[in-house]
Amino acid sequence: MKSILGKNLGNYRTSYRADMALLNSRNKKIGMVILLLVIFLLPMFASNYFIGLMTLCIISSIGAIGLNILTGFTGQISIGVGAFLGVGGYASAILTTSMGYSFWIALPLAGIITAIIGGLFGIPSLRLKGLYLAIATLAAQFVILFIIRRWVSLTNGTSGMVLQRPTIGDFALSSNTSYYYLSAIAFLLSAFYAINLVRSRTGRAFFAVRDRDMAAQIMGINLFKYKVMAFAISSFFIGIAGSLLAHYTMIVSPEFYEINVSIQYLAMILIGGLGSVFGSILGAFFITLLPVVLNIIVGSLSGILTDLSHILSAFEEFVFGAVIILFLIFEPGGLAHMWSNTVNYFKKWPFSY
Amino acid sequence: MVKILQIEGISLQFGGVKALNDVSFHIEEGEIFSLIGPNGAGKTSMLNCISGLYHPSQGSIKYKDEEITKMKAYSRTNLGIARAFQNIALFEHMSVLDNLMLGRHTLMKSGPFSGGFYFGKAEKEEVDNREHVEQVIEFLDLQEIRHTPVERLAYGQQKRVEVGRALALSPELILLDEPMAGMNKVEKERMAQLILKMKDNGITVVLIEHDLGVVMRLSDHIAVLDFGKQIGFGTPNEVQENPEVIKAYIGENVS
Repeated sequence: MKSILGKNLGNYRTSYRADMALLNSRNKKIGMVILLLVIFLLPMFASNYFIGLMTLCIISSIGAIGLNILTGFTGQISIGVGAFLGVGGYASAILTTSMGYSFWIALPLAGIITAIIGGLFGIPSLRLKGLYLAIATLAAQFVILFIIRRWVSLTNGTSGMVLQRPTIGDFALSSNTSYYYLSAIAFLLSAFYAINLVRSRTGRAFFAVRDRDMAAQIMGINLFKYKVMAFAISSFFIGIAGSLLAHYTMIVSPEFYEINVSIQYLAMILIGGLGSVFGSILGAFFITLLPVVLNIIVGSLSGILTDLSHILSAFEEFVFGAVIILFLIFEPGGLAHMWSNTVNYFKKWPFSY
Repeated sequence: MVKILQIEGISLQFGGVKALNDVSFHIEEGEIFSLIGPNGAGKTSMLNCISGLYHPSQGSIKYKDEEITKMKAYSRTNLGIARAFQNIALFEHMSVLDNLMLGRHTLMKSGPFSGGFYFGKAEKEEVDNREHVEQVIEFLDLQEIRHTPVERLAYGQQKRVEVGRALALSPELILLDEPMAGMNKVEKERMAQLILKMKDNGITVVLIEHDLGVVMRLSDHIAVLDFGKQIGFGTPNEVQENPEVIKAYIGENVS
């Protein structure tokens, strides 16, 4: 049976394997192909500036997916993302600039180093829950940044370090477009991994730890192991994002990794949707593009209201806060939930349910 | 008969309160064993000791002659001990299917690497276990609601999912904490049938239940607790005639 809009209704699958496939309907397969085409053909149509923006968005998406694995899936709040991005960025900077390794070795190593440090800071999670754990991760934020600032011989202190764009053979990925493709591949791999993780044994265990840790134990889940594992996997992604970001901006410095970055990433997953890979991506795009869009609005208003323009420069922080509050009140499920509501509305149209 | 579980001299203390005081009984393999007693007698505390959520201050618990008193809760699950909770403890944001799949957690192997890349071994494992879970779904008549998030189900359905999640583990010993609480007569009858079927399939059942009619009809052996003390242990008939049990349940003759 088909709905008026031509969508298939009902479940026609005849095997469990087909039911459990990732793209279990034709529409989903077509959608996936279109999405991939858009991602890979975008540089042919978009301006250099726009591609740069998209690169930032997809790198943030990797970090947001990482944070969502920890906070959205496993229920462990972390305010240390900024510092973990820093660990990834500095690990990459030290490995390539100081030690002369190639970017292609430094990138995964940056992920692994961040995963180890993240896992270490995850150890208190066995005893600490909710806000208390959040404060413990806040400590991670300050301790790590303190070390970065003070260990001058390793990190060059507050003056930061300079990085190079990666090269393939003789070809340097110095243009925005080539770096966009590199980030896009990393992004697709991360999203693919995270989506699969969620629907397999480990992901279910994460959800169980979040929803009811006592029952999770009775299901045979070792809470400590899975909490630390969530910290490590989450930090791996954040480390990869940190490394990609560092090679994109070609500079690392402690002030890029302050606590406001942590808050921004938390906002991404809150607005995007806790516990949803798709939501992390939407949230990352939303938060990254928000200041850009606001700038355009303020810019166009300043022509009419010249006196207001300097007042409006504080507009960004105001909107940022207001958006988070509005989402918490009206749509705690985030953008991902809004999206699925919209899709379901059209699926069932003209009936309400 | 082989003793599957031996409880010897278990005491459990919370500060000054003795929740359990020198409780000893044993459970034979393949039987239905009931734990009864008035509210606050320590029945659930006893189950918590068996499943490892509480660690008794004294005494020992042996499962198939293996000492498990100090073993962590999640390792006991590996031995084949499953548990359904009294106050439903399902993962309410997840679907019925995912809840049951979590029941199979210890029987699956895929980790964060194979699971994240899914195809091949992890996929096969998911499908194989899904097939097993579907048997449980059929056994408990949950077909229509398998994709529904648990939080949207009615109480009686949630209760069945709770039992199903424990059954999905393919346990040898299943601990059911008031599986019939809040059910009407028809639902209770159905649950009683399920418990008898579990016994037929060779699963040892430990049951906590307030409906004494059901308990007397189903059980092979019964232990009675009152204020943390064991006041009776034996077959239903022996327990029914035990004066201390009558005293705890009905009270003393005043005249």
